[in-house]
Amino acid sequence: MSIVKLNNNGVKNATEFGSITGLGSMIFLSKQTASSSSTISFTSGINSTYKEYLFTFNNLHPASDGVYLQFQGNAAGGSGYNETITSSYFIAYHFEDGSSSALSYSAGGDLAQGTGFQRLSQNVGNDADQCVSGYLHLFDPSNTTFVKNFIGRTATIADDNGPVDSYTGGYFNITSAIDEIQFKMSSGNIDAGDICLYGIA
Amino acid sequence: MPRYKNVNGERIQFTAAEETARDAEEQAWADGAVARAQASLREKRNRLLAETDYFALSDVTMSSDMTTYRQNLRDLPAGKDTVDKCNNATFPTKP
Repeated sequence: MSIVKLNNNGVKNATEFGSITGLGSMIFLSKQTASSSSTISFTSGINSTYKEYLFTFNNLHPASDGVYLQFQGNAAGGSGYNETITSSYFIAYHFEDGSSSALSYSAGGDLAQGTGFQRLSQNVGNDADQCVSGYLHLFDPSNTTFVKNFIGRTATIADDNGPVDSYTGGYFNITSAIDEIQFKMSSGNIDAGDICLYGIA
Repeated sequence: MPRYKNVNGERIQFTAAEETARDAEEQAWADGAVARAQASLREKRNRLLAETDYFALSDVTMSSDMTTYRQNLRDLPAGKDTVDKCNNATFPTKP
């Protein structure tokens, strides 16, 4: 095996790079752009092709002030976004005026065998420059032996003017496959922003 | 005004059943406003109390100012029965 030492000149003059294999891939699957959307649903593309799926949220702007982003899943062949979830939820925040900051568990954001929507963020402000961004990982949704784990994290500029870093973790407590995911605000529409779906190989 | 949903990139108008279901969710959200504000107030109050819990240890002497501060924190949620009262609650100053 030879070792090739690259220098600035070598990289600058390169016209072709060899392929690198075996490192895995993050494959873009689809993108949805909100436009006064009550809900955003992904009902295709979530299957056994990938062991992990990643949703990214970019600048989701709510129509209403002080509402939060949430999600639920639908099992293959089922109806409605109402699967059983147990989860945890905690936040770190700091006000713009520096008056308060904390890291704390927020019982209002977790579910204990609940079938409601799972919270992903703190209350988002709806001033023109306020929004929520972040991601949600869904692991092996087509597995029919194990529960379906997920972890989510969002950065929010809250309705009381401060950043809130929210951490969500939990599982769909079912062994059926999950093949549909829906996002919505706790109240009102998602005015703008987009959600992308990737498969992780 | 009709509501719309995005499904795999397609913008689709809500059905009548979906409108009814979302109306119920919106009503529940509105009805829970006071409870959410009270929960938020208590969460902040509890955090401030926790910050001074160590004064209650047997080998620490709690000053009367600290005793008053902690009692005022415990009393803070009393009478906060509207969103405005919760949002405008004045927290006691830590001694």
